[in-house]
Amino acid sequence: MALFITKRLLMALATVLVVAVLAFLLVHAMPGSPGAVSLGAGASQEAIAEVNQRLGWNDPLLAQFFTWLGAAVQGDFGISLIDGRSVSADLASRLPVTASLAAGATLLSAVLGIGLGVTAAVRGGMADRVIGGVCGMAVALPAFWIGIIFVYLLAVQSSVFPATGYVPFEASPQDWALSLALPVITLAVGGAAFIARQTRASMLEALQQEHIRTLRATATPTWKILYVHALRYASLPIVAGIALQFIQLFGGSVIAEQLFAMPGLGQAVQNSVSTHDAPSVQGVVVIATVVVVAVNLVLELATKFLDPKLRAS
Amino acid sequence: MIPNVAPAPADSAEPTAAAVLPKALRQSAVKKFSGSKLFASPASVAGVIWLAVLVAASLTAPLWLPYKTEDQDFTAVLSGPTAAHWLGTDELGRDILSRIFASAAGTLGTSMITVMVAVGLGTTLAMLAAAAGDRVETVISRVTEVMMSLPGTVIILAVIGAVGTNIPLIMAILGVLISAGMYRVMLGQAKSLQSQLYVDAAKVDGVSTLGISLRHVLPGLANTIVVQSALIFAVGMLIQAGLAFIGFGPPIPEPSWGGMIQGASQNVYNAPWLMVPTGAVLALTVLSANAIGNALGKAPNATASHLPSAAARRRRAKAVAAIAAAAPAPNDSAKNTLSVCNLSVGVDSDGAGHGVRLVTDVSFDVEPGTVLGLVGESGCGKTMTALSLLGLLPSGVSVTGGQILWNGRNLAAATDKDMEGVRGREVALISQEPMRALDPMFTVGYQLTAAIRRLRGMGRAEAKAEALGLLEKVGIVDAARILKTYPHQISGGMAQRVAIALALSGRPRLLVADEPTTALDVTVQAEILSLLRGLVKDTGMSVVMVTHDLGVVADLCDQVAVMYAGEVVENGRTDSILDNPRHPYTLALLAADPHANHAADMPERLATISGQVPQPKDWPSTCRFAARCQFAGSACMVPVPLLPSGTGDGLVRCVKADELAVEGLDWVATDVPSHHVLNLVEAGTAPAGPAKAPAGLERRTVEKDHA
Ligand code: SF4
Repeated sequence: MALFITKRLLMALATVLVVAVLAFLLVHAMPGSPGAVSLGAGASQEAIAEVNQRLGWNDPLLAQFFTWLGAAVQGDFGISLIDGRSVSADLASRLPVTASLAAGATLLSAVLGIGLGVTAAVRGGMADRVIGGVCGMAVALPAFWIGIIFVYLLAVQSSVFPATGYVPFEASPQDWALSLALPVITLAVGGAAFIARQTRASMLEALQQEHIRTLRATATPTWKILYVHALRYASLPIVAGIALQFIQLFGGSVIAEQLFAMPGLGQAVQNSVSTHDAPSVQGVVVIATVVVVAVNLVLELATKFLDPKLRAS
Repeated sequence: MIPNVAPAPADSAEPTAAAVLPKALRQSAVKKFSGSKLFASPASVAGVIWLAVLVAASLTAPLWLPYKTEDQDFTAVLSGPTAAHWLGTDELGRDILSRIFASAAGTLGTSMITVMVAVGLGTTLAMLAAAAGDRVETVISRVTEVMMSLPGTVIILAVIGAVGTNIPLIMAILGVLISAGMYRVMLGQAKSLQSQLYVDAAKVDGVSTLGISLRHVLPGLANTIVVQSALIFAVGMLIQAGLAFIGFGPPIPEPSWGGMIQGASQNVYNAPWLMVPTGAVLALTVLSANAIGNALGKAPNATASHLPSAAARRRRAKAVAAIAAAAPAPNDSAKNTLSVCNLSVGVDSDGAGHGVRLVTDVSFDVEPGTVLGLVGESGCGKTMTALSLLGLLPSGVSVTGGQILWNGRNLAAATDKDMEGVRGREVALISQEPMRALDPMFTVGYQLTAAIRRLRGMGRAEAKAEALGLLEKVGIVDAARILKTYPHQISGGMAQRVAIALALSGRPRLLVADEPTTALDVTVQAEILSLLRGLVKDTGMSVVMVTHDLGVVADLCDQVAVMYAGEVVENGRTDSILDNPRHPYTLALLAADPHANHAADMPERLATISGQVPQPKDWPSTCRFAARCQFAGSACMVPVPLLPSGTGDGLVRCVKADELAVEGLDWVATDVPSHHVLNLVEAGTAPAGPAKAPAGLERRTVEKDHA
């Protein structure tokens, strides 16, 4: 087990490193030098060259990379070319927004998805077909479309929820929850459908295992077979499915943040990409990767812990 | 936003037939692409039609569209559907219909780029990993794992930052990211194809690795490729629309679906209608692709389940009530005697078991304290017969007629609720593979004590003591340690002892043992058999023992019922049947079994029974063994009844039984002699034969003749 964890940690580290290299190279391929981006149109060649010189743009690529990496490891991603603010500070204020969004959506997807998937597998017949149909629709409709409809119905027509904006938790827990509600629900529609399908398939597979017959042969009550034995067996693939879903929902927050005007990482990527703000793009790519890889690692260890075979070894 | 195309849940379940029908019937895990499946589902037909119409309409758009995409009609800004603008107009008065269809071809085309890159790369990597061995596979798998754990959306956006909104290029890079998931889906299949015998043969013949991959592996992957292509196509469209929605679509005046939804979202307060047409077209297109993918892939199916769904249980309760109403009240049978009369079991094609018959008119009795052997090859219906005694037939299979009388009750007409009172307490089960019969997620101790507490109403501590006692009774020395282990930590023989202890936990009076020793090592087999023999003697319970091993029968059974193709063909006391077999199938089984022959009269060559048990749907109405019988003749082409054999209370189902007994014929170690084949063919066409000779039978024998 210790060996396994070490191996996974090394893998995770390697993943982040690869992405760091990738981010660095991509950003260098961006059109325009940092000086040109930072000073905007109409700046003189000399001024641009001066800024580029100061930012080390003319140094060898490898040297630039290691300077950047050295600072990044200490949590310093430089300053934004657009507004001169510290990228790290900016991202630090944005991370909680995206994290609450992705975590909330994953949680809601998991609860809804497991409930629906188990119901479909256990009840069969009409319930199965209805849930299957709804899930099919849910994965076919783009999240942003669903989100707009929610805004229209729930925020504009009935004004239960605020249509846009984000309230920090420290300011007011209640408003924080309300401001997250619509984006979380929007993202969870597709997520829940995915997890419901995964759960249904895993439950059916669990019910095909021969030990289910042994349990019936010893007069185990049906509820116990379903909710203790079969669900326990199905829990491994379900948790794996939730881990995958988290990655997607984290990415999906780009859309939700744009739609609901939330100051999260997604908005930062979008802005910095549009404005060619190199340090911000690099920072956000690395931070997003670290978060996703870390959560994935935790969920993967959880899956292994659920499996007696791996736990014992 | 970028879904990882992980192994699709839809692909993980077994095909329906697998649990029900004999192994020979199972389809290979890898299916070839079949167009007919595409048209079997109405949803996928609709999907194909919609995509075709969309592509055709889009490509011919300049010819028929009422407006150009940039035409602005200032008299009708943000209008709903009108005669002039069927789907309404946007905030600049541009015609929605024209813009949707004009941009369709581009959207679909660029999504195809993602499909081609993802599928092409994923498949190539999978074939490479399968062909090049473990080292290469490990490297590729690690790389794809890393790719799958990346925040794809953020990376795609960073790429856009570097290369601008070059849509074909971005869709290609998206394909690269998705190919990791594709590789995962393909790898297992590619490896199983690579390990097929004919691939080994091709290697020996010197076919190159590339040649093998292209000729043998790729065709086998075809169906999965098509399924995944359809699903990735849908993903590509959604992502492309999402990018356009956040402003990374085609340059501004050019229409795109995502961009149009973005425009509509700006006006959702004053013109909500605008959301509908583009959203609907996008959703329909994604649905179509998904429907095609799902129709071609196997949908997970509930019918191989060991626990029927609630809907199936309701159906069964109804069917059972019908049987109970139709059958006469069981007469008072003796205590703890099992009496099975005319039992039939069939596959549900219409929900009531009137599809293919798996067991027909089987009858036997088991007296208290005796052991009955059900003998025959695989696919003869032994296991189905045994499982029906506990009401544990797999979903999709049910009792269609006859009675199972046990202590004055007809178990064939008992509801699942009633059976819960019988299972474990009166009738218990041991199955073939002990490792799979125990729940891998719980300790032996948990499983055993839970059963004891439930079946005997004991408290926790008492049950634990009882569990220890039971494990000792089945010959486990360090019972306390075994209680704490998980099933994967003990050996097969140990697991079978645990399974027996579990079966004994409710003190049953009848034990149904389905090939309890087949999966075990030879030395362990003997131990388990002697354990069972001892248990029968100590507890006085009766046993129904399913086996294909006549040695086990000779060792343990008092009575034998030989089954062939769903019927009992011979039935009687063990000693008389082994010493004096009357049915050719019994003769053949004995001649083919090295253990059943005494050393003295061991033949030089062991006989074989040519051919295989026919599939249930091909069972003829005549003697079902005729196609493989060395003694078959024209007299055999009629339905054969089960008649007294003349030895004791034995019964036999063969028109020539008496003749064979007189002549003392043996099953000889050769193939079916050709004259018998000729005989059969004649019988099939002769006017004296049955009016309708089974076509399958005739064809088979003729083929044999040619061979
Ligand atoms: S009835 Fe004929 S074919 Fe059938 S077992 Fe007897 S001899 Fe063979």
